[in-house]
Amino acid sequence: MKNRKGFFSEGLLTAPSFLWLALFFAIPTLIVVSFTFHGHTPNGGVAEPYSLETWRALADPDYPSIIWRTLRISVKVTLWCILLSLPCAYAIARMDKRLRAIVAGAIMLPFWTSFVVRVFAWRTMLHPDGWLQACYLSYLRFGEWLFQCMPAFVQHTLTGLGLATSGSLDPAMATMLDSEVAVVLVSVYSFLPFSIMPIYSAAEKFDFSLMEAALDLGANSFYAFRKIFIPCIRQGIISAVLMVFIPAIGSYVIPQMLGGTNCVLIGNKIFMRAIQNRNIPHASALATLMAVSVLVPMAMTVWWRARQKARDLKKADTGLAAHIPGAKA
Amino acid sequence: MSDFLVFENVTKRFGPLTAVNNVSLGIKKGEFFSLLGPSGCGKTTLLRMLGGFEMPDSGRIFLDGKDITDLSPNQRRVHTVFQNYALFPTMTIWDNIAFSLKLSKLPKREIEEKVDAILDMIQMREHAWKYPNQLSGGQKQRVAIARALVDRPQVLLLDEPLAALDLKLRQHMLMELDLIHDQVGITFIYVTHDQGEAMSLSDRIAVMNRGKVEQLDQPAQIYEAPVSSFVAAFIGDTNFFAGEIVAAEGDYCTIRCEGLGDIQAFNDRKLAVGQNVHLSVRPEKIHITLNAPQPENGVGVNVFQSTVTDVIYQGVYTKYWIMCGDRSVSALKPHSRFLLDQAPITWNDKVYMWWHPDDGYMIENFSESDAGLVQTPPDAPKEFPGK
Amino acid sequence: MKKSFFAPTVLALVLLFLYIPILLVIAYGFSPDGISLRFFDADGNFLGFTVKWYRQLFTGVYSVRSLLDSFWLSLEIAGLATLFSCVIGTTAALALNRWKSRLQSVHYALVYTPLVMPDILIGISLLMLFVACRVECGFWTILIAHITFCVSYVVMTVLARLQDFDRSIVEAAYDLGAGPLYTFFKVELPILMPGIIAGGLLAFTLSIDDVVITAFVNGAGTNTFPTYVSSMVKHSKNLPAVFALSTVMLIATCLLAGLSRTISKRHGT
Repeated sequence: MKNRKGFFSEGLLTAPSFLWLALFFAIPTLIVVSFTFHGHTPNGGVAEPYSLETWRALADPDYPSIIWRTLRISVKVTLWCILLSLPCAYAIARMDKRLRAIVAGAIMLPFWTSFVVRVFAWRTMLHPDGWLQACYLSYLRFGEWLFQCMPAFVQHTLTGLGLATSGSLDPAMATMLDSEVAVVLVSVYSFLPFSIMPIYSAAEKFDFSLMEAALDLGANSFYAFRKIFIPCIRQGIISAVLMVFIPAIGSYVIPQMLGGTNCVLIGNKIFMRAIQNRNIPHASALATLMAVSVLVPMAMTVWWRARQKARDLKKADTGLAAHIPGAKA
Repeated sequence: MSDFLVFENVTKRFGPLTAVNNVSLGIKKGEFFSLLGPSGCGKTTLLRMLGGFEMPDSGRIFLDGKDITDLSPNQRRVHTVFQNYALFPTMTIWDNIAFSLKLSKLPKREIEEKVDAILDMIQMREHAWKYPNQLSGGQKQRVAIARALVDRPQVLLLDEPLAALDLKLRQHMLMELDLIHDQVGITFIYVTHDQGEAMSLSDRIAVMNRGKVEQLDQPAQIYEAPVSSFVAAFIGDTNFFAGEIVAAEGDYCTIRCEGLGDIQAFNDRKLAVGQNVHLSVRPEKIHITLNAPQPENGVGVNVFQSTVTDVIYQGVYTKYWIMCGDRSVSALKPHSRFLLDQAPITWNDKVYMWWHPDDGYMIENFSESDAGLVQTPPDAPKEFPGK
Repeated sequence: MKKSFFAPTVLALVLLFLYIPILLVIAYGFSPDGISLRFFDADGNFLGFTVKWYRQLFTGVYSVRSLLDSFWLSLEIAGLATLFSCVIGTTAALALNRWKSRLQSVHYALVYTPLVMPDILIGISLLMLFVACRVECGFWTILIAHITFCVSYVVMTVLARLQDFDRSIVEAAYDLGAGPLYTFFKVELPILMPGIIAGGLLAFTLSIDDVVITAFVNGAGTNTFPTYVSSMVKHSKNLPAVFALSTVMLIATCLLAGLSRTISKRHGT
């Protein structure tokens, strides 16, 4: 009797969200995946028979470059975000408690203005006649000058490694707007708070006497930062990577508004195929591919965390046996 | 022998608070030295300045003749055992211990030998590949000590290292620390607020209060001959009797104590008649008996009639609170025989309390606030409302 | 110990990086040039500030009518989406916290996955559903889409609060004679309220800021504020009005946040 009542109330509390998400999330996702196994009809429909032609079409010269570009930009953005977040989180965690809350608030505050409007402001800032473009040009000129100063064999190595291009700078080609540079810059800007926050909350729990202990034993600050601080907050770093990488892969607004035709990413292509070209199978296939590239790192972290947890449980086990001092000595 | 470690007029302020006030100290090589005092007395600040975590506002610190005041922590061969151990949670025990050796870029073979040797010393060889959170408190403690000792620092600092352990473990670790010190022969500086730990381990103790060193001496000297009321009241428990010296002859003098009468006391410092002093008498030196003691060899003086107000049985001894006139006095009575066979002294018994004139110690340097450190008898609770 | 200056310097630069666009958003609202937002003409002469965009916004003249319409639509959708997702999300969190059945592990997966899915996937899959069911896209489809992606965030925030909360409080209420419903409304709900409010705020900000999902399911002619603004990139004569409106929003949010802070401080929570 009591059991049935418990089952009834469990059902009552579970039903709204379960049914809603099943209907509007799970089923539509399955529809999208199923569409990838159909061809498309010229009038914008989905062809009846099953076929792999859509998946085969992904190998066409257009798609791989877009997929590769999306991955590359996402990795770049993630790396920049983590690189900037680590010292920021460290600095905030070392502040005293009141200042900490204020600075953490100050980092989230920009997000109270509309995302689109902020990207718009960047668009205006990156205007080819603007000051940022001027800074960027002089930065490039400096790089070029530096490159010219180097001995020939260094120049060849750098060009060989793809770190530099030979030939002189063309200012018309080096505009920031409508290029990959703008997309990376604004993506870092947009996602930075989401990578600072998880790293900061891990750093806040970090016991800074460990840093003192490392210095005490002869390490310098940077060594202690690398060998003690970073390993201790790795959970936070992993969350931060996911928090940046996932939206970067699915990025649509930033490349749409700042990337122009030079920096089309998967997100833009999906939109283009689905809305403009009415090629639903292709859009579905790209979307499925995107889901896979997000779920793979996700699954890896879930697996890694499960392993950590298992290790911690094992620790608790042996910890008990070792409780009597010098018992086994 | 000149001192190995010297603090010279060291002062440290935190805002309006002076944590360490013009402290000068000398510590000998190989010594087990304790800094003892209540929390906030400046002992930890002094230790952190030695470790390099705080910079003194003025004064210098010399180690083995070299000025180390401005060196950063990683430039001094002074290692700390932290209160919470501060073991690196992401490293195994082995890697924790090898940390300082790896930094000094020793050859791999040598690192392995040294780490294994110290693991043997602390009897933790079989735990080498565990992580710190797999260890018990006592084991973590031993690893923290081994980690700090492995590259043979000039000085080992221990910041309340036993505070996180339970009583039995603390006593065990105390003995172990003593053995380790005997084995390695490195100068140990031990910070604690627990007088028992300091007494049982140290060669010498510096008792600190309000940023200053009150007394620096061997443990027995500090307990038996405290220089101030603070030292007398902070180390162990005591009873203070205030009075004026009315007569002094030879090694003894007479103190007139209001509400009690005349007290005989040993006067080794030849204090003059007319001086106001406080006599400190430790509870275990006060005897209580149902009959007056037979006068012989110093016994028979300092005998006062009183009434037992409270009895607290502690197994090894019984603590008595007795009223003598309008003052409460505490006394400890050890039980050397089977207690149940005896007729013990109990509540409201009329007793004689007495002590040998040699057992009181006269203190000139008295402060009323220190008298607050002395234990007082418990107050009766208020009445239960529903009664 | 000597303080390191490297990390604080990076932090200061990052804060600068985060705030420059915000300051520009505010400044552009006063620009006299409606197309390229310049303050200086080609010869370097200062063109001055203007408040005409603010005047236009507050009088609601024809040229900003559609901007204001999209803004009210956004508020309406965000408000409704927040309300629904708070109710659905709280029940889901309670269920997830109380039972540990197989149903709940499927339930949890269902709630968790939308959090890690890029927006664009949720957008396209909902579009496919609506097309397959021949639903006309418009207000209702946008609302459904917003509730769908907000629910998960509310569940996670409330669940975090629930996991911190000590079950023995509920047991104490039962022990002192309270029934389950009385305990829920008088003991549990007040304790959960900060979590629900935090989840609701998160849902509101996400909903009012969403472009991608809305762009898929809005159909022709229904524009929320973000989709309207992103459609202005190429052709617009009154861009500063957008920035002026954003400045007004920013000030309003700051005031609301300050207000809620003082209230919560007074209540000591």
